[in-house]
This record gives sequence, structure tokens and C-alpha cells, in this order.
Amino acid sequence: MGSLRDVLSPFTAWKHVIETPVTIRNPIGREAADGYRGFHQNDIEKCIGCGSCEVICQNAAIDMVPVSDPVDGDSGLRPKIDYGRCCWCALCVDVCMTGSLTMSNEYTWVDTDPDAFRFIPGVDPKPWDDLEKGYRREGGRVLTGAERVEMGELAPEARIDNFDEIVAGYTREQAMIEADRCVECGLCVATCPAHMDIPDYIAAIREGDYDLGLQILYETNPFSEVCGRVCTHKCETACAARHEGDPIAIRWLKRHIVDNVSEDRRLEIVGTPQTLPTRRKVAIVGAGPAGLTAAYDLARQGHAVTVYEAQDKPGGMMRFGIPEYRLPYAALDRDIAVIAAQGVKIETGVRIGHEITMDRLRAENDAVVLSIGLHIGRSTRIPGTEGGGVETAIDLLRRITAGEEVPVPKQVLVIGGGNVAMDIARSMARLQKVKHGAVGVTVTALEDFAHFLADREEIEESLEEGVEIIDARGPQEVVRFKSGNRKGEVKGLRSWAVTSIFDDKGRFAPQYDQGDERLHPAEMVVEAIGQAADVSILGEDLTEALDWNRGRLAVDVAGRTSEPWLWAAGDAVHGPDVITAVADGHRVAASVGAMLMAMGEVAR
Amino acid sequence: MIRFEPDRSQYPQPGDDGKIEIDLETGKYLKLWHGPNHPGITGNMSVELTLCGDEVVEGKTHVGYLHRGFEKLMERRTFIQVFPIVCRVCVPEPDFNEWCYAQAVEELAGIEAPEMAQWIRTLILEMGRFNSYMMAMGGIGGALGMGVIGQWMTYVRDLMLDRFEEMTGARIYHMFILPGGVRGHLPEGFSERMEEVLQTAERYLADVDKAMFTNAVFKARTKGVGVIDPALFEPYGVTGPNARAGGVAKDLRKDAPYLVYDQLEFEVVTETASDIWARARVRRRDIDVSIALIRQILAKMPKEGPVMAKLPNVLHWKIPRGETYVAGESSRGEYGYYLVTDGSGYPRRVNVRGPSYTHAMALLEHLIPGTNIADVAALMVSLHTYPPEIER
Amino acid sequence: MMRDLHDHLKTRYRLGDLAERRGNLAFVDVERADLRALLVELRDVHGFTHLSLLTAVDWIEEGRFQLTYLMNNRAANRTLGLRVFLDRADPVGDTIHDLWPTAATYQRELREMFGIAFPGSPRVDEEFILEGWTDMPPYRRDFDTLAYSQQTFSDREGRETHDPRSHMAKKLYPEGQR
Ligand SMILES: Cc1cc2nc3c(=O)[nH]c(=O)nc-3n(C[C@H](O)[C@H](O)[C@H](O)COP(=O)(O)OP(=O)(O)OC[C@H]3O[C@@H](n4cnc5c(N)ncnc54)[C@H](O)[C@@H]3O)c2cc1C
Ligand code: SF4
Ligand code: SF4
Ligand code: SF4
Repeated sequence: MGSLRDVLSPFTAWKHVIETPVTIRNPIGREAADGYRGFHQNDIEKCIGCGSCEVICQNAAIDMVPVSDPVDGDSGLRPKIDYGRCCWCALCVDVCMTGSLTMSNEYTWVDTDPDAFRFIPGVDPKPWDDLEKGYRREGGRVLTGAERVEMGELAPEARIDNFDEIVAGYTREQAMIEADRCVECGLCVATCPAHMDIPDYIAAIREGDYDLGLQILYETNPFSEVCGRVCTHKCETACAARHEGDPIAIRWLKRHIVDNVSEDRRLEIVGTPQTLPTRRKVAIVGAGPAGLTAAYDLARQGHAVTVYEAQDKPGGMMRFGIPEYRLPYAALDRDIAVIAAQGVKIETGVRIGHEITMDRLRAENDAVVLSIGLHIGRSTRIPGTEGGGVETAIDLLRRITAGEEVPVPKQVLVIGGGNVAMDIARSMARLQKVKHGAVGVTVTALEDFAHFLADREEIEESLEEGVEIIDARGPQEVVRFKSGNRKGEVKGLRSWAVTSIFDDKGRFAPQYDQGDERLHPAEMVVEAIGQAADVSILGEDLTEALDWNRGRLAVDVAGRTSEPWLWAAGDAVHGPDVITAVADGHRVAASVGAMLMAMGEVAR
Repeated sequence: MIRFEPDRSQYPQPGDDGKIEIDLETGKYLKLWHGPNHPGITGNMSVELTLCGDEVVEGKTHVGYLHRGFEKLMERRTFIQVFPIVCRVCVPEPDFNEWCYAQAVEELAGIEAPEMAQWIRTLILEMGRFNSYMMAMGGIGGALGMGVIGQWMTYVRDLMLDRFEEMTGARIYHMFILPGGVRGHLPEGFSERMEEVLQTAERYLADVDKAMFTNAVFKARTKGVGVIDPALFEPYGVTGPNARAGGVAKDLRKDAPYLVYDQLEFEVVTETASDIWARARVRRRDIDVSIALIRQILAKMPKEGPVMAKLPNVLHWKIPRGETYVAGESSRGEYGYYLVTDGSGYPRRVNVRGPSYTHAMALLEHLIPGTNIADVAALMVSLHTYPPEIER
Repeated sequence: MMRDLHDHLKTRYRLGDLAERRGNLAFVDVERADLRALLVELRDVHGFTHLSLLTAVDWIEEGRFQLTYLMNNRAANRTLGLRVFLDRADPVGDTIHDLWPTAATYQRELREMFGIAFPGSPRVDEEFILEGWTDMPPYRRDFDTLAYSQQTFSDREGRETHDPRSHMAKKLYPEGQR
């Protein structure tokens, strides 16, 4: 039996009798801890409606519901939470691509209506919307990979004296890691002009199924090898991953797929038209991406397609504009080979309007597609541009591609601040390096660096290659030697500093500081300020008959002109890039195809 | 010591196989359901007792009242989606689930949580152990008519829950140990506030020592009662305090050091009597170990450093085929996760080893015959059982 | 270490390759007929006295169940997982309740949840966790929990979600492009 102590000791518990009960000392209603996981808050301006929160929620507590119109990079959907299911795990907060979704430290809210516990945080007003306290994830977006896998590139020294391709392309390991970052929200799809199935082909990379990846690419784009290299990748500006991190390298992943499927295999996967010939004939003028895409689609529908091309090789600006160091000709040829394999006839060296008239095309075909691009370089028309030593970028680039001799003086001045200016500057730099062992190119642009038109990468790479870029300069005159043995030759460009480019109504009306005048010495001036379509080929009657819109051919949404047999696509009507031309090609092909189909029905 | 001895002459005699033939029709027996809502059990479980007089001749454990098919649910969730549900396998000490699962995933995926995370995980596990023991103390007190112990312990546990709340953002289901690390650092001033809690706890525990462990009634009802023969430990899979109360100094924190236990100093508490008293004492003394460990961790842990390893995109995280078993010493013994992966984005199989699985089933059923009905609750509680980890 | 043990045992038992997971954890395939003798030897000779757990994995595609016996030697801090494969069409395991009485509970659960028979195991056919269950053993891979819950419970009214990609397609380019 226990001691006396064992009998008395328990009575010490009685001392608690005089204590104030805990429930009175700490009454209900205390605020939750600062980092408590209570009701959600959503910064509705920041949220992009990517739905990653919905995907991760293992309780299926989240629905994505429309609250505004979709725009680029924002679906207009917002998460609606069913608190009958939510377990307050905050995985949705952790995964949130923008950091818009957080949790307040409010958790005591009650209501007798069960449906009150289903609401859209940030849209349906709640008392805790502005609470500063609550769960905030630490360390940013850690669940989906924030940083892009860096792309291997030729170093400036290794690339400046040649036209070798700069970008190496991802290895499989690199591509796998980059593809892994995609959250498959599909926001990018709407922004891509051709609405490529981006998340699907990225998923194919993750699966290591390149055949499937290629098949997906071909469903929307027969120029994936080209686009995988030079696409303007607008999709990446809409990518959910760009918030709190780098956008997915969509363009490089596309290229990675094509890199991993041999040319022969591509032909096997894509195959040839699976329909009987329709005996309908379509003529396409211009073998750029718009014309060739339309040709691809129409040929696969069973129509007889002939593409007429003025140059002696197909590809349009992809070949004669874009420099080889960005897009090797062989890559372009591989894309075109698949198109040609569909039975598309490509007649090169035939300039419509010269060798063959539009009238004849019309007479010999059921439909005609005009996809002639923009091949006339515009001029600033400032004093001194008439005469030798002044070139347009577009013409020089074409001659370089064609292997023609182009003048390569030691000092070249380029007018223009867009990507075309960078292309010609960097091409000239390479030629100079080979010929003179040194680069001497100056680019003057109207825009200041903050508003530059060319891509950041282009600017950086140009600078690395020794190109000098001077921003905010307005060209005034191409100065020529007035005397001496170089009389008449170009001496340089006289420029003024730009103070503003647009007037208060947003119209183009550059203003200059005339006091800030400079002479940029150069032996050759290249103008890279834009291109125009050569519509003279249409002939007077047709030009007269067609509807025009500010100097451009007017077309409907399907690309049809006011003449029922004539469609137009690509740069000539839309622009500005390959993928838009591809999208245009598809659209026109669909419209032409529908018309031919209707003709077929009638004939039968 | 006066002990009640029933008159067994009326009892049925066991047959050759040692089993008693129970024929309810004879009217000699009474069926009594102990549970599933008996206050003497932490969670819903019942023991189907067959009584003869006030002695138990047979006890069968019934579980399933809390079965939610967790293991199967986990097979239908991606690796990250399993994270929020594992803690729910065990309400009073949920953190073991989080750690075992995270560690198992990390192992099979080849990820290592950063050092800082290892320290915080250890801290969490000790805080959880402390809280679980609070329930055990309260439970054993309650089972023996000392409800006030339960109230004190609940209060102290609540103070620890405050610390959990500020650290993890939640009181019960912390959901803080993510695969790859932990969700955050300790809040500013955490150590000081923790110290206050520990000191309050020590005051209340001193009262428990006086009211419960220096108590003639408690001693009479626990000493020599519910003895587990240590020879049963291995065959019946007895681990943790239940085994340590029988003199077996086994503790995974020492035997198979995980997290940062190899950098901490602590003793493995044992008793020898293997009765209810000894089991209660082991737990009581292990609370002091936990308190000391919490202080040690807070003093020794690094002041800064990352808390998360780099994870792949968890939305399509696949883990190569493999299997592993991760176990630690919970307040009730060996707690482990057996994880099998098959290369897909979902676990192939998750099996949770909760110590109650062996303690409350085969062991309890073995121990219970011959127990006086009045001691059944104490016996059950002394095994420190959490039913949800049995049925998952 | 584990390797030595494996080499040692390999001579007398039909064992698969040792799959080492950690220094103190490895798995090995065992022929069903060898299981019992091996368990006894592990327990009595090699200090693997503790059965950490016994459970099953359904490899439905391979037509077999895997039984995993996690044997632990606490003193040496080593765990060896024995894998025994059973034909999924007629899954019968061998009871070890006489070696570890607690195994009876595991076997009862495996019977209920996976439909694996353990003849001779005490009370193996009694309900364990489930009550009045008539469907297939629910931890089998082909038991569809989602379908089950859809049949058993009803969804809350009025929930509707939208996929961002198709929602944008519908709103921004309803004609599609293709
Ligand atoms: C220097 C430069 C760089 C560029 N870089 C990029 C880039 O990096 N990424 C990108 O996406 N886009 C780039 N672009 C834009 C892109 O090349 C064009 O948007 C795209 O090629 C337009 O395709 P298209 O089919 O409409 O026209 P084009 O590609 O211009 O093709 C039109 C074709 O029609 C032919 N043609 C014209 N008239 C006739 C006629 N009368 N008879 C027969 N054939 C005729 C032309 O010879 C030409 O081959 C660049 C453009 C230039 C100029
Ligand atoms: S907190 Fe967890 S359960 Fe709740 S909505 Fe977010 S992800 Fe779903
Ligand atoms: S993850 Fe974030 S950004 Fe995306 S929909 Fe959800 S709340 Fe909005
Ligand atoms: S690439 Fe970006 S925007 Fe597109 S699906 Fe993936 S994460 Fe979303």
C-alpha cells in the first residue's frame, strides 16, 4: 500500500480551484496567427486564370469560372472555391503561377446559408479581402520550376566571321527539364497566331515521344523547323510561367522536337494526301510561308496546287530575308520537302505579272491565292538617298542569299531599329570581318533603347558582335563627298537627336533637337525602315476591280478579296511574321477548300 | 495490497487448446461493447467483451469506424496531392505521416531536403510527440477517474498548438512538411514563446506528478495491472513506450537515427515492470526528454538556410519504379511508411504502419482475457492507441 | 552488411538479386516455398526478430500480387524486405501467425482488402475494417474508388468549371483555325 504521501499529495490539485479558468483568461475571438491558413484572397488583377490552382487541388474544391473577357495571357477565368471541400492545405497558394492567390488569417466567419461558402475570392467581396495577415508562401513559386534552361550558343568570336547557326538547340536532358516546367494551362494557345497545341507537344517531349510531338506540330504548322528557330514567339509573352519566373522556351522546345525526327521519318509520319484527287486546280503566287502553307493544306485536301515563285528558290523571306546564321537554308529546305511531298508543284523563277498574267492564272484555275509578301524596300527619301552607296536592307539580304556580290565597305551605316536592321547589320558585320578582319557597322534608330523595336536578344547579340547602335537619332541627309577623287561617294549620315516620335494624337511625327547634330561617317548607307508589296503585278484592270484598304488589298476574315476567285494571305495583307503567314495560309486554304467543295457538290 | 479475487469456480473450464467454449445461451455470459464511443479510447474503436461476472473472458477489437481508405486514396493522387491527406491518418500526432511520406518520396525521387528543413522537421516531430503524450497523460488519468489531468493536459497541449499555429499556419493538421523540405522558417521570436510554453508545461507536469504519480489510488490501480510479458514484444510487434516499459531500450531515434537525432543528446527512457504504471511512467519521463530536445533543437539549429530543395514541376512529377520504407519513433512506437512507385505520377502503393495496429489488435486481444471489467479502460489507454492508424 | 547476408543465404534459398535502397534497407524476391524457412532463419539466426509489417502490392498488369514482409533487425539497424509473388488469379499465401501472432491481423486485412487467402490463419475470414462489403476487395487496383463514390454519393449541385484553353478558344476564335 502507498505511503501517506501518496494519499495527501493528490490534494495539492485543489490549488487550481481558485484559478481563473482558461476559457475566461483566453476568451474565444482571439485573432489567428499571422501565417494562418484561413479563407482565401485573390488579387484579381494579378491572377491570369491559368487554373493551376484547380489542377493541384486534391479535393476538387476549385472551379474556374468566367469573370471577364479573355485577353492575351489571361483566360478571364478566376478560381471559385467550395469550402465544403477545401481542406486548407494551401497547395493552391503554393502553386499559384502569379502569387495572386493567398490566404487570410480569418477562419471564424460563419453563415447559415451553405452556398455562402462557395465564392470567388477577390470577386465576391469578403471582410478579409484586405487583411494583410495570413498564409503567404515562402520563397516564391517553388512547385513548378521558375528558371528557364539556358540555350547553348556560339560565342561571339566563334560566330562573327561566318554564317553558321548560332543557337545550338536543346539536348534531350535540357529539353526534358524545360518541358517539365510547363503547367499545361494552355494560355499560350490563344496568343499563338496559328493556335498551335503547345502544351500537347510539350507533353510529348516529356514523354519522349517525338513522333507524336511532330504529328502535333504538323496539325497546325508545316513550318515547325523554321518556327522552332525564328518564330517571334508571342506565345511566350502570354505564358503563365513568365510571372515570377521565365516563360517556357516554347520556341526552342518546338525546334527540339523537329531536331529529333529525321527527315525520312517526318515524311512517314506526315504521309501524303489520303483523299482522292478532286480535279480542282489552285494557283498560288509566292512561295513564302503563307503560300506554301495554303498549298500544303489544299494539296492534302486532294486539290491540284501549283505555286509560282519569282525567285529561283522557294521560301520567300524565310530564305531571302532571314539570315542564315539564324535559319540555315537546309532547315528551311527540310520543311519545304515535306510540303512538296504532298504533290505541290513549285514553279520557281516565274514572276506572275511578267511571264504569266493574273488573267491567265484565273482562267486556268478554280482559285488563286496571292501571297507575294513585301519585297520592295522603303526609303526614307531624305536628301542624298538617290545614287550609289545607298541600299535597302531587303535588297542586300536577298543578294547575300543569292550569292551575289555585294559591296562590303569598311564602314556601314544602317538606318532603322527593327529586327531587319539588326539582320542586315549583323550580316554586313560578318562580311566585313571576313573581308577586312574588323567590324564597322553603326545602326541609328529613331527609338530610344527603352522603346526599341528589335528584340532584346537581337540587340544584345549585335552589340556582342561589335555592332554600334545609337538610339534616338533621326536621319536628315546622306552626306556625300563634294569634291576630290571620291566626289559623289557617300561620306556619312547627318542626324539629329529625336525628342519625340509621335504627336499627342499618336500619329507618326518625329520631333528633333536640331542643336544635337552628328555626322556618322560611313561609306555605305543601308535603309531598313520597312517594306511594301509589289502590287503592280495585278495589272490595271484587276487593281481597279479590287477593294483596297489604305494601300493594302482588302480581304475578309477568311482572306478572300472582293473578287470571288482571289484570296490573299501573308505579309501582303497581314504580317508581320512567319507564324502569322502560316495561320493566314491555313485560313485561306480552309476558305478556298470550302468553295471548291461547294463547286464539287454543284458539279455533281 | 488488497486485490479483488473473483470466485472462478463458477467459470467455464478451458478445453485442451486453452480456449474457453463460450455458449451465450447458458446465461453465464454477458456481451458488452466497450466503444466505439467510450471515453477511454482516443478515437473510435470498440472492444467486444464477453464477461463472466466482472471478468473478461474474451475481447475482440473492432475497428473500421474511421476507415477512409487513405491508402487507396493515395494511389489516386499525384505525389504532391498526397501531401495534404497523410496527416489525417493520425489526428493526435499527424506530423509523422508528413515526415515519413515526404522522406519516402524524397528517397525514391533522389531529392534531399536542406539541412534547415531537417532541423525544423525534427522540431516538429518533437512538438508533436509532446502533444501526443499530453493526450496520453490525460487519457490515462481520465480512464482512472481523474478527469482533471485531462483538462490540464489539454490546456498545455493547446499552448503547444499555438506554437504549431504560428509556425505552420494550422493547429491540428499542420501540412508543413512538404516533399523537398518544409514550407517556411520559424517566425520571429518563436524560441522565446516556445520557452514560455515549456515552462508552463513543466509547472503542470509537476502537478501531474503530485496528483497522479504520487497517488495511492493510481498506484493501486496501475501497478501490477495489465502486465505484458516482454517475451511477447517481438511476436506481437510491440514497439515504443509499450516495450520500453518492459525494459527494452529500443528507440528508433537512437537505433536508426533519422533527421538530426544523431546531433542531439538524449536518453532512452525505460522502466521494467511492464505494467500500466510503468507504461505511464515511461511516457511521463519521455515528455521531459521531448522538452529537453525541443530546447536543444532551438539552441543548436542553424539560424538561416534554405528550407526547400529544388523540386521538379509537381504537376507532372513522376517517380521511377522503386520501393522504400521510412520509419521513425513516434510517441507510440514505430511509425512507418512503405511506399512503392511504378514510374508513373502516382504512388503504386502506400502502406502506413501505425504502432496501434499491433498494439490494439493482436496484443490487446491477447492481454484482455482475465482482466477485471473496471481495468479494461486503463489497459487500453495504457497501450496508447490511435484507431485511425489501424484502419487508415 | 546486407550483401554478405544475401550471399550467405543465396546458397540455400532461391533469392532474387538484392535491391539495395539504403545502407540499412534492401529488398529481395523470395520463392514462396522458401519463405517460411527463410523467415525462421532470419529470425533465429540473423536477428531479424521484428516483423515491421506485412502487406501486398497489386501488380495487376503482371497478373500477380506482391507480398512484402519487412523484417527488421533492430540491434543491427537493418531491414530486409522479402517479396513473395502470388498468382493474382488464385492468390493464396502461407500463414505465419505461428511465428508472429500479430501476422494474423495483417493476413486478415490482406484477405479483406486484396482477397488473398491465408488458410489456417486465425479468424482470417472475419470482417476486419469493412462491414457488409460485397464488392471486390477494394485495395485491388481494378476497384475504382471514383466510380464507387460517384455511385454512392451525389455531387453538390451547381458546380461548373472551365478549361482555360478551350474557354479562350470559344471566346476568342470560335471558328477555330483548323
Ligand atoms: C530580314 C527579315 C527578317 C525576318 N525575320 C523574321 C523572323 O525572325 N521571324 C519571323 O517570324 N518572321 C521574320 N520575318 C518576317 C517573315 O519572313 C515574313 O513575315 C514572312 O516570310 C511572310 O510570309 P509571306 O508568305 O507572306 O511572304 P514572303 O515570305 O515574303 O514570300 C512571298 C514570296 O512571293 C514571291 N513573289 C512576290 N511577288 C511574286 C510574283 N509576282 N510572282 C511570283 N512570286 C512572287 C516572293 O519572291 C516571295 O518568295 C523577317 C522578314 C525579313 C524581311
Ligand atoms: S487550400 Fe487546398 S483544398 Fe483548399 S482550395 Fe486550395 S488546394 Fe484546394
Ligand atoms: S494559379 Fe493563381 S494565377 Fe492561376 S488561376 Fe489560380 S489564382 Fe489565378
Ligand atoms: S507554355 Fe506556358 S502558357 Fe503555354 S501551357 Fe505551358 S505554362 Fe501554360
